[in-house]
Amino acid sequence: MLELKRTLDAKGHGVLEMPSGTGKTISLLSLIVAYHKAYPLEVTKLVYCSRTVPEIEKVVEELRKLMDYYAKQTGAKNDFLALALSSRKNLCIHPEVSSLRFGKEVDGKCHSLTASYIRAQHHSNPSQPVCQFYEQFDAVGRQVPIPPGIYNLDDLKDFGRRKGWCPYFLSRYAILHANIVVYSYHYLLDPKIADLVSKELTKKSVVVFDEAHNIDNVCIDSMSVNITRRTLDRCQTNVETLQNTISRIKETDAAKLREYRRLVEGLKEANVARETDMYLSNPVLPDEILQEAVPGSIRTAEHFVGFIKHFLEYLKARLRIHHVVQESAPQFLKDIYEKVCIDRKPLRFCAERLRSLLRTLEIADIADFSAITLISHFATLVSTYSKGFTIIIEPFEDRTPTIANPVLHFSCMDPSIAIKPVFGRFQSVIITSGTLSPLDIYPRILDFRPVTTASFTMTLARTCLCPLIVGRGNDQVAMTSKFETREDFAVIRNYGNLLLEMSAIVPDGIVAFFTSYIYMENIVASWYEQGILENIQRNKLIFIETQDAAETSMALEKYQEACENGRGAILLSVARGKVSEGIDFVHHFGRAVIMFGVPYVYTQSRILKARLEYLRDQFQIRENYFLTFDAMRHVAQCVGRAIQGKTDYGLMIFADKRYARADKRGKLPRWIQEHLTDGSLNLTIDETVQLAKYFLRQMAQPFRQEDQLGLSLLTLEQLQSEDMLQKIAQIAQQA
Amino acid sequence: MDEEPERAKRWEGGYERTWEVLKEDESGSLKATVEDILFQAKRKRVFEGHGQVRLGMMRHLFVIIDSSRSMEDQDLKPNRLTSTLKLMEFFVEEYFDQNPISQIGIITTKNKRAEKLTDLAGNPKKHLAALKKVVDSTCVGEPSLYNSLNCVALPSGTEIKEILVIFSSLTTCDPANIYELIKTLNALKIRVSVIGLSAEVRVCTILTRETGGSYNVILDESHFKELLMLHVKPPPASSSSECSLIRMGFPQHVIASMSDQDAKPSFSMSHLDSTGEPGLTLGGYYCPQCRAKYTELPVECKVCGLTLVSAPHLARSFHHLFPLEAFQETPLEEYEGERFCEACQGELKDKSVFTCLACKKVFCVECDLFIHDTLHCCPGCMQTDRTS
Repeated sequence: MLELKRTLDAKGHGVLEMPSGTGKTISLLSLIVAYHKAYPLEVTKLVYCSRTVPEIEKVVEELRKLMDYYAKQTGAKNDFLALALSSRKNLCIHPEVSSLRFGKEVDGKCHSLTASYIRAQHHSNPSQPVCQFYEQFDAVGRQVPIPPGIYNLDDLKDFGRRKGWCPYFLSRYAILHANIVVYSYHYLLDPKIADLVSKELTKKSVVVFDEAHNIDNVCIDSMSVNITRRTLDRCQTNVETLQNTISRIKETDAAKLREYRRLVEGLKEANVARETDMYLSNPVLPDEILQEAVPGSIRTAEHFVGFIKHFLEYLKARLRIHHVVQESAPQFLKDIYEKVCIDRKPLRFCAERLRSLLRTLEIADIADFSAITLISHFATLVSTYSKGFTIIIEPFEDRTPTIANPVLHFSCMDPSIAIKPVFGRFQSVIITSGTLSPLDIYPRILDFRPVTTASFTMTLARTCLCPLIVGRGNDQVAMTSKFETREDFAVIRNYGNLLLEMSAIVPDGIVAFFTSYIYMENIVASWYEQGILENIQRNKLIFIETQDAAETSMALEKYQEACENGRGAILLSVARGKVSEGIDFVHHFGRAVIMFGVPYVYTQSRILKARLEYLRDQFQIRENYFLTFDAMRHVAQCVGRAIQGKTDYGLMIFADKRYARADKRGKLPRWIQEHLTDGSLNLTIDETVQLAKYFLRQMAQPFRQEDQLGLSLLTLEQLQSEDMLQKIAQIAQQA
Repeated sequence: MDEEPERAKRWEGGYERTWEVLKEDESGSLKATVEDILFQAKRKRVFEGHGQVRLGMMRHLFVIIDSSRSMEDQDLKPNRLTSTLKLMEFFVEEYFDQNPISQIGIITTKNKRAEKLTDLAGNPKKHLAALKKVVDSTCVGEPSLYNSLNCVALPSGTEIKEILVIFSSLTTCDPANIYELIKTLNALKIRVSVIGLSAEVRVCTILTRETGGSYNVILDESHFKELLMLHVKPPPASSSSECSLIRMGFPQHVIASMSDQDAKPSFSMSHLDSTGEPGLTLGGYYCPQCRAKYTELPVECKVCGLTLVSAPHLARSFHHLFPLEAFQETPLEEYEGERFCEACQGELKDKSVFTCLACKKVFCVECDLFIHDTLHCCPGCMQTDRTS
């Protein structure tokens, strides 16, 4: 709180690490809301970005509690407007559209009902279907402000249904004057969406990125483009459709094309009327480009289509190679200029131009055109940024070196490119998560200067987490997933024994993480041969995470059921998989987490190599340092799944002797490190079993809320007492 | 030695870290902490809450003993099963000592099945004999919480009010959804308490929470005993259960002298189902209602269903209703007065002394425990009562 206040006072950025379940969200919210109440002019808006839809909803619920408390204490009716925003898929109330399953389909369908020219057609021809909710909203919704209150996604839907307004556009519109906005961080980071949704947020906003330990990857993903041969093929058909449409329109309605030519000259369109059309917009373009007129070579529709065709042919030619090529953006541009005489400038306008073309041609279903949009984005990006990007063309995948499947990776090396506008624009940006250690690396790779960086630990009435590093089996063979020894029979057997022993003493749920799917498959297969699986199954049921999302969620559901009714279960999953991110194993769902091996990324990947090189050159971060950091943050994420608050408890077992080394251990979050004693650094399996047994028995002793009083919970009197205040001040000093 | 081939050798078992609880004091001596631990252990038994609550005096308790594979674990010596059974024997004795008009029944569960060892009965001998027999049985398979609870709840659902589960395994193999069963138990107002031997299991937590029982997990053997002993004391009766009058018979023990010509040796009714004991006796207790003969009390009459007890039995269970107030504990340094315990006349040497609030007499720790656990009345007060 104190640190946060300092950050806000200084109008700077902050990095805060707090263990999950310790009231991170509520303390952030309450302080910022209080700050807003005290200085309404300094901080006008809070933008809270979280990762998934359930997390967003959780934040809004917390906020609702806070506001209820405010209302109860002050008696005043609050005049806050807070709302959650999500995709159309989660907000649509149109009976037909909302029944579609995929986000893209919903977007496409919605667009086909609400685009401005469709609506114009509707005026002349009432049989043309439109979305009545949007019509309603457009007719009255804009003038009438949404009454203050806290709106979750469901509340928005309800409100929309009552009024007959489209909740999606309603909330899109309402975020402009809402005090608190909660949404996914793609809305702020992904330039294609951010431009639309978040463009008009005021500068005096406070932005909070929750669960931000992966923020650099999100940034990179949002700026990277992968092009395969299939993309190009689909793009080809797109171009043909475009061509046909153009010629058809030319025959029937030449006037329209002329009118659109005029539109092209002044590129910046009046955006209000066409708000709905702009939903797949441009990547971050420097502003000056928008001021310029589109170069003549691509100004007319035919020319532009021809241009795209050229570009496409060129890309196809590039993909027809048999060895790996890696080059920088300027090299690529030079090459393209030499081979097919495409200049840099028109490339830059590609995305913008395509968008206006699609709009003029009145192509409703944009979802079909994703391929060509992708290509145009690529063109724009490659010509705009000369630094921080690499183009890698691989003729085949690493795993299947015989099957030709050429891919062009246009990958962003520098996460700071995507996040720079955010840091630049908003007065305070706070990055927070349960696992951000080591704290100094985030400012470095995201290239910003934080006012505060702090890592908080939990004040616990009892030691409810028990990290153990298991380095050896009972036969003293070192346990490690190191590449040289990972196929070793003894190592696999020891891993199996560890799981077997743990399954006998840990109640309810165990979650085990492997380093990769392949490794998991190998190990499980060999456990099966050795009969270990059979023995484990006597104690607990086994569930396995697979790459198939439906299968995994099924397994998860059954796993929870098995934990719930006392059978006990083990979930075998993969670090970096779906389970490791975002699924919490509260209380009995995860009494122990076992980490088999250190989850390094696949280091042979060329994209990764290029990124490491870039990091070394630009930010002076050594390759090994980054790799370890990346592995350890995933480890921390995985093991952190089990502890969700102070009343929870769980074992954390790191089954690899490499964890004992200082460089690995030092990168764990502080709240885990402080429970890691020297005695538990290099244990054998049976020592682990003894420690775990003792720990579990201790934890099973009755634990009441009164026990926490004075330690990790304070009553009002205690809080007001003088010496407690001093104690708090002392703790704050140390932090 | 071939009867237990699978049992691991002593040195293959787990490490124990008995030294970890010990801490040195400033002078490097362990004595102080050891004494402290012992002292604490003694005091723990003196219960905290002596409020005026209604207690269920006539208890019908079923004990479910897990005897699955996990009972072979050797963290209790010599293994969990033997240790548990030994404590159970102690428990059964203590139980009848403290609750003379109550009944107990024992069920074991293994291999996904539940087996009724003894039916509800008020006689400790039968239970003890049954428990002795179980020691030799092997522990196999998984336990089934559902089956064993079902075994208790279904047939004679009206009578039983308490179930105590001693649960060693961490898993249960259930044929149906256990949460349905928990609901039925709740509807029947059956209290289920669980003592876990290894760790906290979710389903037990819910089971005990829903039915209003307690859930404890043992730390070691002495803690186990302590937890078990907590169940000796009758639980507070649920407020909804109405006071009911129970018909009881107080048969007189009739001893026919050998010289009496009319006396004929006869069988007792309790021999109907067990034939182990010597059959024909001369005297016995005769049911005041139907004149059936029994050799031992308390018992439920096989013929007319009347509960037969003796007056001392009732009197013994009386103390639960009016428990002796806890004595006030004061450190020895602060205590001024005679340095002799009122009861044993020994010198007061322990850290604390205990003063009876009514008669202001002082007692040592040992006597305090003895008074509260066994005597249930303060000797000091008795003395003053008589003199006044």
